[in-house]
Amino acid sequence: MKEVAELLNAMRDAGVISEYALFGAIAQMRYTEPVATLDADVLVAVPPPQTLELLKPIYEFCAARGHRPEGAAIRVGAWPVQFVPVFSRLTQEALEEAESADFEGIPLRVVRADHLAVIALSVGGAKDFARILGLLESSSVSREQVARLAARHGLADAWTRFEARFLND
Amino acid sequence: MTETRKLLERQATWQKRRAALTWPEKVHMAEAVRESAAQLSRARSPMTTGVSASRRPGTGEVPTRQTKNDN
Repeated sequence: MKEVAELLNAMRDAGVISEYALFGAIAQMRYTEPVATLDADVLVAVPPPQTLELLKPIYEFCAARGHRPEGAAIRVGAWPVQFVPVFSRLTQEALEEAESADFEGIPLRVVRADHLAVIALSVGGAKDFARILGLLESSSVSREQVARLAARHGLADAWTRFEARFLND
Repeated sequence: MTETRKLLERQATWQKRRAALTWPEKVHMAEAVRESAAQLSRARSPMTTGVSASRRPGTGEVPTRQTKNDN
């Protein structure tokens, strides 16, 4: 993951991406106990002009450093890394407000726990619901924080359904 | 104390230890089990050609039980 952190910082410094932040399971582990995962997911913002080949400069940057595609990801050290361009107002905000963490001496931006929970709510699969429960159980985010953020992003009904299904007696 | 209660207490202690790890330690733990998870995934989906090809972003994990940790 140190290698991933170094690559992401270099990519941003070179202007290939304007910003990045880890999300998904690797980000979740900052707040909860470890979870098994197949790859590392990274939200990215790409500087304008944005074209249909949004990820091409990223792939070229990685290829120049010897990192090859592997399925829908790029292998960086031990990890296949999936680059996901921001795809909603919610993910844009999550990227902008991500925290800078320290990963063995290397700065690494990570999506905040409340944004992780609400992104998971917006996706709405079983694994996503497990992520929300894990984040709540770890006290890294409160029900009230999730409710407020969900409401701001048009997910109030989804949160109400989640609470009724998993949290209310 | 029943055997079941002893088992649950051992499990709770183990989970607390895991949750108390630093973030890099937890990521290294995930690295260690990643290849096994990939093999299991391939075994379940024989038509899948790549580890990540058949899944949507942010959902490749196999959640385990989660407990408190505020690293």
